[in-house]
Amino acid sequence: MNAKDPEKLFLEEVQRLLDHGAENLGSRTERRLEEVRVGALSAADENRSSFSLPRRWVLAGSFAMATLAVAALFFFLSPSAKTLPTGDLEELEIITSRERFDIYQNLDFYRWLGSKENRVRPNGKGV
Amino acid sequence: METKVPMDSALESKEMLNRFLAEIERRAFQMAKFATGHRDEALDLVQEAMLRFVRHYSARPRQEWNVLFYRILRSRITDWYRRTFVRRKILAWLGRPEEEDPEDPLQNLPDAVNPNPSDQVLRHEERGALEKAIRALPLRQQQAFLLRAWEGMDLKQTAFAMKCSEGSVKTHYSRAVHTLRGLLEDLRS
Repeated sequence: MNAKDPEKLFLEEVQRLLDHGAENLGSRTERRLEEVRVGALSAADENRSSFSLPRRWVLAGSFAMATLAVAALFFFLSPSAKTLPTGDLEELEIITSRERFDIYQNLDFYRWLGSKENRVRPNGKGV
Repeated sequence: METKVPMDSALESKEMLNRFLAEIERRAFQMAKFATGHRDEALDLVQEAMLRFVRHYSARPRQEWNVLFYRILRSRITDWYRRTFVRRKILAWLGRPEEEDPEDPLQNLPDAVNPNPSDQVLRHEERGALEKAIRALPLRQQQAFLLRAWEGMDLKQTAFAMKCSEGSVKTHYSRAVHTLRGLLEDLRS
C-alpha cells in the first residue's frame, strides 16, 4: 500500500473534483433531478398496483372480447336470406333498371305483337 | 396484521429505491452531461434510465442495482449519440448550425462555504479543465473512466455496464487515465 503512488493520488484528486462538481449542480438542476426521481418512484408504484398481467394485455383482451361480442350480436340478430321480402327486391330491380322499365311501359304493344306472331304460319303468311 | 406485512414491505422497498436513486442521481446526471454537453438532454437521459430501471429491474437484488442502472444509462447515452449523429448530418446538409445549450448562470456563482478565494479559483479552474477534458474524451473512454474511477466499479462490473469485454475496458480506461493525467499535470506546472 503505497500512499504516494502517483496514479492513486491522481485518481483521488479526480474523484474529489468530480464529487465537488456533482455537489454543486445548481438549484434548478437539483430540483429537476428530484422531480425526475419522484416521477420514477410513482411509476414504480403503478407497476406494483397493476396485477401480474401487464395493463396493455388487459386492454387488448377487453377490446378483442368487445369486438367478438358485437360481431356475434350482429350475426345473431340480422335476418336470414330466406325471410327476405323478394317482392320488394323485384320492384327495386324494375325501378333501377332503365331498360326493363321501358319494356314495362310498352307492355301492351308487346302483348299485341306476341299474339300476332302466334297466329303467323310456318311459311311466314298470316292466318 | 397479515395484510400489513406486504404493505410494510412495499413501503420499505420504495424507500430503498428512493435512497438508491437519490444516491446516484447527481453522478448519473454528470455522466450524461459529460456525454451530451447539454443539461436538458442529460436530465432527459437520467429520467429515461430511472423509469426503465424502476419498471424492469427494481425487483432485482439490491447489490445488482448500481451496475444495472449504469448499464441502462449507458445504453440511453449511446442511443442519444446515434440520434444526434443523424440529426447533425441532416442539419449540416441543410446548412443550419447546431443549437447550443446556454450555460446555467447559477454555476458561476461563488461558493460562500469556501473561506479561501484563491484556493476556490484554483479548484474551479481545475474542475472546469477536468470536466472539459472528460467531455473531449471518446465516449467509450469517458464511460470506462467514469465507471471505474468515479463510480468505483471493478473490471467485470464495468464490462457488464458497457456491454463489452474486460480487455476493452482496460484499454479504454488506461488511455483515458493517460490523457487526463497529462492534462492535470500541465495545469499545475
